[in-house]
Amino acid sequence: MKPIEITLTVNETTHTLITLPNRTLLDILREDLGLTGAKNGCESGECGACTVLMNGAAVNACLVLAGQADGCTVETIEGLSKSGQLHPIQQAFVDAGAVQCGFCIPGMVMASKALLDHNPQPQEEDIRQALAGNICRCTGYTKIIQAVQMAAEELRHD
Amino acid sequence: MQTFNYLRPAHLDELCQALQQPHAKIVAGGTDVLPQMHTGRLQPALLVDISRVSELEGIRIHNTQVEIGALTTFAAIQAHPTLRAAAPALTQAAQWVGAPMTRQRATLGGNLANASPAADAVPPLMIYNAEVTLTSAKGSRSLPLAQFLLGPGQTALQRGEFIQSVRFELPAEDLGSAFLKIGPRRGMTIAIVSAAAAVRLSPEGRLEQVRVAVGASAPTVIRCPQTENLLHGQLPSAELWQSAAQQIAVEISPIDDVRASRAYRRRAAGVLAVRALQAALSQAQEAAQARTV
Ligand SMILES: Cc1cc2nc3c(=O)[nH]c(=O)nc-3n(C[C@H](O)[C@H](O)[C@H](O)COP(=O)(O)OP(=O)(O)OC[C@H]3O[C@@H](n4cnc5c(N)ncnc54)[C@H](O)[C@@H]3O)c2cc1C
Ligand code: FES
Ligand code: FES
Repeated sequence: MKPIEITLTVNETTHTLITLPNRTLLDILREDLGLTGAKNGCESGECGACTVLMNGAAVNACLVLAGQADGCTVETIEGLSKSGQLHPIQQAFVDAGAVQCGFCIPGMVMASKALLDHNPQPQEEDIRQALAGNICRCTGYTKIIQAVQMAAEELRHD
Repeated sequence: MQTFNYLRPAHLDELCQALQQPHAKIVAGGTDVLPQMHTGRLQPALLVDISRVSELEGIRIHNTQVEIGALTTFAAIQAHPTLRAAAPALTQAAQWVGAPMTRQRATLGGNLANASPAADAVPPLMIYNAEVTLTSAKGSRSLPLAQFLLGPGQTALQRGEFIQSVRFELPAEDLGSAFLKIGPRRGMTIAIVSAAAAVRLSPEGRLEQVRVAVGASAPTVIRCPQTENLLHGQLPSAELWQSAAQQIAVEISPIDDVRASRAYRRRAAGVLAVRALQAALSQAQEAAQARTV
């Protein structure tokens, strides 16, 4: 197996890495770049804990090969807060009490960001569909949906 | 993940070359391949990543001919305005594939090459009489979708061949069409049963050009020609729908599996296909009204 060279921009910093083709974007984020916000829950596209934005769209980082992330712009949960201030979506999750153990939350927040970037005024049904691939085993979904509604409101006033 | 050799061709000719090598396995969006590689169920010696072959991307419409490149994602299909207006069964199928993250990566070519009896793109493409274009270093050939799908996980793809695109004639405005699926939940669900239907209304209000395809109820997605014949030329009525549902139960050959029983599938397929026909019909009626206004 020959190593490959890839270049990707993560949270506005560009990295060029020599890596192996059998690694995923999730491996690179967590192991090479130390960005452990995105979680490995299932490695099969089912749980959404590894959700990040790639070229502006939410994807499961566990299903993206290193070579497929080459040349892409990636945004992770670590890129959201600016100068010590939580992003409005993060703040809304805190305020709504939508976080228990937190394992699913980076994925939930990034999937919510993908929704709100494209649809600033989502209906509840839109939120449910946007989060259909994000599983939470402890908080339950009611407060998570409320958090996204609160974040949408806050972002509209910004 | 196990080790493998990796090629990422940028153009069709490089792809044809790469696939000449023995044991080459294609990966596109990876939503089927990667989960299987993570568990070790799939261990390719050579992975050919086609995701950068730009010629395989995009939806092109010339006059009434639609051509969808194999790499086109369900997110792109779902968002396409012309398809939404004229081929809504395909849009409806695309918008319920997996979750948003799945649809962002999952490609049409991967969905067809998988040859799952439950693949969501197949019932709509069957009622639109789609053809698949297969290409290799030796050239290209086109096959009707029904001849491409040979059984669960089995296709007409030969060594060195890949799916280049899918083509179909954009349906006329007065052909209504719809897709429905049943699963344990509405989002993120593999179909227990799926159905697509198309129909047109004659000026006398009779059913014409009836097309019905049912998924997850036979070794491949199938058209139901006897049901189509039974409905052709008839005036819609409750009794007619009931006999159509019964005829569908006869035409399919479902199995018992982890998702549902054979008996459930027989009942559900009839009901679901009739609902798809009724949705297609109400769309055809709207088109007919729009014409008379
Ligand atoms: C969480 C989750 C939910 C899902 N939900 C659904 C669903 O609701 N409905 C549904 O139908 N599917 C679903 N799937 C299955 C899958 O997403 C689709 O079948 C998808 O379309 C596969 O496309 P891909 O590009 O990701 O394929 P890949 O994984 O890249 O490839 C799949 C297969 O096709 C072959 N292949 C890919 N492209 C070509 C080509 N151009 N020519 C020849 N061979 C090719 C590969 O070698 C492989 O055998 C789901 C998957 C996941 C992980
Ligand atoms: S870890 Fe990627 S979807 Fe679960
Ligand atoms: S907060 Fe624990 S999984 Fe969601």
